[in-house]
Amino acid sequence: MSPEEIQQIFFAECEESLSAAEAGLAACREGTQDADTVNAVFRAVHSIKGGAGAFGYIALQAYTHTFETLLSDVREGLVAIEPKLVDLLLRALDTLSDHVEAAQEGGAPPPDAALIAEMEAAMAVGGAGSAHVAAPESEPEPEPASDSGEDFGLDLDALLDDLTGGFDTAAPEHSRWPVHLRPRAGAMRNGSEPLLMLREIAALGGQVEQCDVSQVPPLDALSVAEGYLGWTFSLPIDVAEDAVREIFDFIGDDCALAFGADEEIPPVELLSPGIECAAPPAEPAAHSPDKPAAPPPAAASAPAQVPAAATTAGQSIRIDLFKLDRLIDLVGELVIAQAMLDQRLEGAGVTATEELSLLESLTRDIQESAMSIRAQPIGSVFSRVPRILRDLASTTGKHVKLDVFGETTELDKTVIERLGEPLTHLIRNAVDHGIETAEERIAAGKSPEGTLTLSAEHRSGRILISIGDDGAGINRERVLAKAIEKGIVSADAQLSAEEIDNLIFAPGFSTAQVVSNISGRGVGMDVVRQNVKDLGGRITIESTPGKGTTFLLTLPLTLAISDGMIVNVGDQTLVVPLAHVVESLRPEEGAVQGLGSSQAMLNVRGRFIPVIALKDALGSPLGATSPEEGVLVVVDTESAGQAALLVDGIQDQRQFVIKSLATNFRVVEGVAGATILGDGRVALIVDVDSLVACALPPQDRPNHDRPNHERHAA
Amino acid sequence: MSKTTRVLTVDDSASMRALLNHALSTNGFDVAQADDGMSALEWLAANEVDVVITDINMPRLDGFGLIEQVRGGTRHRDRPILVLTTESSDEKKARARAAGATGWIVKPFDTDKLVAAVRRVAH
Repeated sequence: MSPEEIQQIFFAECEESLSAAEAGLAACREGTQDADTVNAVFRAVHSIKGGAGAFGYIALQAYTHTFETLLSDVREGLVAIEPKLVDLLLRALDTLSDHVEAAQEGGAPPPDAALIAEMEAAMAVGGAGSAHVAAPESEPEPEPASDSGEDFGLDLDALLDDLTGGFDTAAPEHSRWPVHLRPRAGAMRNGSEPLLMLREIAALGGQVEQCDVSQVPPLDALSVAEGYLGWTFSLPIDVAEDAVREIFDFIGDDCALAFGADEEIPPVELLSPGIECAAPPAEPAAHSPDKPAAPPPAAASAPAQVPAAATTAGQSIRIDLFKLDRLIDLVGELVIAQAMLDQRLEGAGVTATEELSLLESLTRDIQESAMSIRAQPIGSVFSRVPRILRDLASTTGKHVKLDVFGETTELDKTVIERLGEPLTHLIRNAVDHGIETAEERIAAGKSPEGTLTLSAEHRSGRILISIGDDGAGINRERVLAKAIEKGIVSADAQLSAEEIDNLIFAPGFSTAQVVSNISGRGVGMDVVRQNVKDLGGRITIESTPGKGTTFLLTLPLTLAISDGMIVNVGDQTLVVPLAHVVESLRPEEGAVQGLGSSQAMLNVRGRFIPVIALKDALGSPLGATSPEEGVLVVVDTESAGQAALLVDGIQDQRQFVIKSLATNFRVVEGVAGATILGDGRVALIVDVDSLVACALPPQDRPNHDRPNHERHAA
Repeated sequence: MSKTTRVLTVDDSASMRALLNHALSTNGFDVAQADDGMSALEWLAANEVDVVITDINMPRLDGFGLIEQVRGGTRHRDRPILVLTTESSDEKKARARAAGATGWIVKPFDTDKLVAAVRRVAH
């Protein structure tokens, strides 16, 4: 793994950490301020700091350090969690996010001096607040020498510096000084090995002068955990006392040390009473070593604290997306191969139904599992929303409360990634155009704070996402007037409320009387609609004047497999993506009326939509030419409203795996791709939008009874 | 010393694990990884290890908890455990020692020092 790849992991991790911190702080604001929540925020920031240091992002590291220190105070309970503090932390998090971005893109770090000052001001008075921290059990200094007792930490770094320095020391034989030592029982604990320390003394140039074996008991009384032996080493004069002391820094007072010719090997201190030295153990109680029968209470309680967590928490591995897509692709092929086998056997009259159905159900399970690997909770998209709302609050002055439901709903990673942009736009739109100013809200008898509701749920194999505000609703008079003004609809058009609402998806449409810098940037709701459509989804509006507007997005769970209607036209089999299909019907007598010489219109419950014979659109010699011979499939298109496709018959409705025609052949107008059917034949997938747009000459497109025929308005 | 020294690195940060893995495996260590104390314990239940390097701040089971559990058990209680963390306060050091850590490395770490530190405690 190259350093660049590791950095990539780091930035991916930063994203996760930022989301986690965001979620934690949001919970804090909602009143959940328990230790776990605060600690999760701390950990997230801490983790970014660790990586920033490791990868040398100095500005990021410095900033996270301040942030972390403040969070540490919060965690220790030194700083009270008040709304003001949470607000500060949220702003600090936003800047952190900018910092991460700057580090990733190599840009200049964001200005953070003011925030750092603010965070420092918010910290517990007197800095670290170590006085409040429960002092750890203080361990007695090694008795003989306490002159350097200030640091009994286990700083390997410092230690190693000395160690490596020591290797070079070629000891002159004459000038040496003695060190006496006696490891105690504890020196064997904690994975320490006194032998290694003796070797290090030797590495410093130490030589054994004396080894005290007088305390070694008879074999049957010997306890392997006890320290019976003591040594005197002689060291070269240029080896400092501290260098020796630091070797034993590791084990602290578990090895008694004495320096100089005037000292002797420290006396033996045994743990088990009854053997010759009956001295009481000098160990603090909490330290009582080597009693497996009675483990420390902390160790005993730890498993209880983490009960089912082991099974639930996110054990994860990272996989190259390419590999995963390859797997999913292959699973798709497997599904098809299975279906082919099925058909072939059926055709051959083989009735191995039991085995076949087993194979089928296994294939389906494999497919579902493979799909679920790509699935991610939508929470990763939703978690960015609070930041958007905060930014909006500062630019628009509208404070909006966020309600989120169903953030654990899972859908395909690609869908999630591509959902961010339209969702952001819808949210901006909701705050900018939907939710009124505080004054207007109060006048309307509403709470001054608006509410934005985000929800996601699975519904019949698709995912339904709703973005709702409790604002004024769509002002239909203004929308209509604007649409007429822009020439999107004709002045005498009679539109239903729903159709007027849909006008906001027309290109170049912007209803804000003051074009703000938030949602009125030229790209409008038409782009949102296009994005959603590209994902194989649909967007609809529900708006009630005075009560608010809700945008409903229906999306497929995955892009790799779609639902399609398999239709016959002449000798061809085609797939119409189900996302476009509104209904299919056999027209009643008189429902289809001629319009001019070549065009036919279908009367669907009082509304006329153009009929397109798929046969003609495809240039196929065979196939139904009159609606009476076949079936009409009513489809909804982006550019040309609804249309009825005339086909010979509907064969089936099934899932299909899309194979790109562009990569395997070339781009063909009106064809979205190809798929392999159960019988092994290739079927083309109809690109409903472009097919309908091509089939209808522009002047024939009815533009007065459907709102979203905006092509020529653009 | 013919056997390869096997090191278990425990850190909830994937990038930190990757860094450790890179630093240690290029220096001839056999590296295993766990993303928190719980998964470290699960791994330790089924594997042998020479040295454990653990982060302190982790979800589910933190470094202190991990050390206490390892020391409280029987199988790996004598294994050296190095604590690797950005927090270098004396309080944390003392707590790590009390919990049973063998040594301490402050991150960001220097590869040479890390390697020397692991060699130093590897039995």
